[in-house]
Amino acid sequence: MFKKILINISLVFSVSAISLNAFANSCKGQVDEINVLIQAHPAMVHMEKHKADFEMLMDLKVNVTTLGEQERRSQSRVDASTGAGGYDVYYVDEANIAEFVKGDWVESLDKYYPASADMTDFQEGKISIGNINGTNYFAPFMGGQDVLMYRKDIFEEKGISVPTNTDELLKLAESLTDAPNIYGWAQRGQRGSGMNVWRWNPYHRGFGGEWTKSDGTPNINSKEAVAATEYYMKLFDYAPPGGRAGTWSDQIEAFRAGKVAMMTANDVFGAWVEDAEKSSVVGKVGYADLPSPILSGGFAHGLAISKPGTSSECEKVMAGELIGWATGKDMESMRLDEGIYDIARKSSASNPKFTSLMPADFNDAVRATSPKTSLLIWKIPEWPAIGDELGLVLEELFTGTRTDVQGSLDEVQKYAIKYLEKYK
Amino acid sequence: MKRNHFILLCIIPSVIILLAVVIVPMLGAINYSFQDKSLRFLEGDYIGFQNYIDMFDDRRFINALKISLYWEIITVLGTLFLAILVSILLFEYSHKKYRLFIAVILIMPIMLPKVSAGLIWRFMLSPVMGLINAPLISLNLNPIEYLASPKLALLSVAFVDIWQWGLFFGVILLFLLETLPRDLIDAAKIDKVKKWQLHYFITFPMLKGSLITIFLIKAIESLRSFDLIFTMTKGGPGITTETLDLYAYQQGIGLRGEISYASAMSITMVIITIIIFTFIWKRTQRK
Repeated sequence: MFKKILINISLVFSVSAISLNAFANSCKGQVDEINVLIQAHPAMVHMEKHKADFEMLMDLKVNVTTLGEQERRSQSRVDASTGAGGYDVYYVDEANIAEFVKGDWVESLDKYYPASADMTDFQEGKISIGNINGTNYFAPFMGGQDVLMYRKDIFEEKGISVPTNTDELLKLAESLTDAPNIYGWAQRGQRGSGMNVWRWNPYHRGFGGEWTKSDGTPNINSKEAVAATEYYMKLFDYAPPGGRAGTWSDQIEAFRAGKVAMMTANDVFGAWVEDAEKSSVVGKVGYADLPSPILSGGFAHGLAISKPGTSSECEKVMAGELIGWATGKDMESMRLDEGIYDIARKSSASNPKFTSLMPADFNDAVRATSPKTSLLIWKIPEWPAIGDELGLVLEELFTGTRTDVQGSLDEVQKYAIKYLEKYK
Repeated sequence: MKRNHFILLCIIPSVIILLAVVIVPMLGAINYSFQDKSLRFLEGDYIGFQNYIDMFDDRRFINALKISLYWEIITVLGTLFLAILVSILLFEYSHKKYRLFIAVILIMPIMLPKVSAGLIWRFMLSPVMGLINAPLISLNLNPIEYLASPKLALLSVAFVDIWQWGLFFGVILLFLLETLPRDLIDAAKIDKVKKWQLHYFITFPMLKGSLITIFLIKAIESLRSFDLIFTMTKGGPGITTETLDLYAYQQGIGLRGEISYASAMSITMVIITIIIFTFIWKRTQRK
């Protein structure tokens, strides 16, 4: 016990003097296990598959808890806010990183990310999502931006070209719909983080909507937000049944089943639609820039050190080591070897293993939408609650249990003002 | 050891466990419900009955009360109806030799965890790829949006609940029917009573106690519907399948993190449940 305390004290005082690798060596054997909370994402499943490598390297046990996306968010928030500290490492994303930093629930990663893992190699668009006031709080392992995915076989057969603006998109979605065989469009309707608001946002922001007015007050019920909602609702007329309350999974699966002619989706789903084992449209999909003025919603998911879960310096060091290992260059390369498309590093983007995974027009589409990509959700700690309210009201509008778009957004505006005032 | 001491000794461990797992969390929830704690800010102030007052100005809470009531009525009555129907059909038309085999098949749905049952049915009811809609699609007809239609969603989820419990209770009632004295049934058959008359006037009145027990068990079980609804619809479309427990979860543990408000809702739910079940219990005891 005394030895442990001495080691901890010496580690704290020498943090700036020695390298993290030396730290990690000093901490070997001092930490019995690391608990990691993840969601079932291919990159994370891959990490869990290879965790024995890290266990052997650091002489500890890695316990992985895997949950669904929404459940992972809830569980990490409860664990952090109550100080339960059941996990040393959290899976965090663009939706909750601001809240976790404001709550002082995650540790600065700048201090604990191993130098050998090279934090400077992360793509700016992805690492910046976990950067608050100049401090990095997470190391991304995936993220992305939107592209237009369309059935090039159908487009060629009908002799039509990809839509370049929202008017053309709407007309094309209508003309391509031949229910119940094929639907012109697919999008998300269900509320919840990563669901309808994420896909509605590119229209809202693309039509000129902003989250706040010039005086900093909420601006959720703007005329641009109304126009975006009405446009989004029209698109549902050409989407598969069930889409109005559908999830991202419903959207992608309908496309993979060959039931959908077009959709905007995150580039990470490119590998999903080109997966020969699960997709019936392999080789039939074209990729293009987004119709104007739709913007591209950037996002990133990463790993962060839990403050409540790491009480000792060695636990923080080991959590940092695990994150460095899981998000390192070697790991990304291994993922590419196994056909897992998730990357977050500059070095991987030019890796032939990555560029050869997808068709050439996919890489062109990604390049084309890069300039119009940014984090479109409101990056404030209050976002989870405000975004949830907005998502609920949108779902009600989509499914017809509400009809007044302006009145509904006015309600969300009131909610946002009240909520921000309450937690000022 | 005196008899009373022995009884006390036996009771104390159960009381301690009960206090630890029921009373302590309940007191904690009551305490939370009078504060304004949230998962973002655990240091709350005491605000009296404000959370309870806010509830009655909250459209989602009022809606959740209504949906919970509909859910109880549909699932409890639906389960009882299916159970009685299945038991009579099997009692009347199945050969005794095969009943055990049929019973094993019929209790399989209840052996599925609700989450699994919810997921299986969610895929089966999918309008695009689900088995249930496949015949309509093959006939070039538009599929039915069982879970995305505000009018059908609650009924569709209730159907899965009734499918799980109705078949199970049907088997129980079948075996209870078999325990009834044969001479009464044979005498009725000699008098040429119709099958429905036999069960309506003779067998089921004799099983009244068991039916009341099944009713109460199912009514209590239906209050714990969170996992099935969450898996199948997450309370949607909109809030059309959002029951009280689901709403309390969404407010407390979900994205909102309003744990004091959620605690107030949970306490309200407990009070309403106690009042309703005490009333039902007294009514059934009286008869």
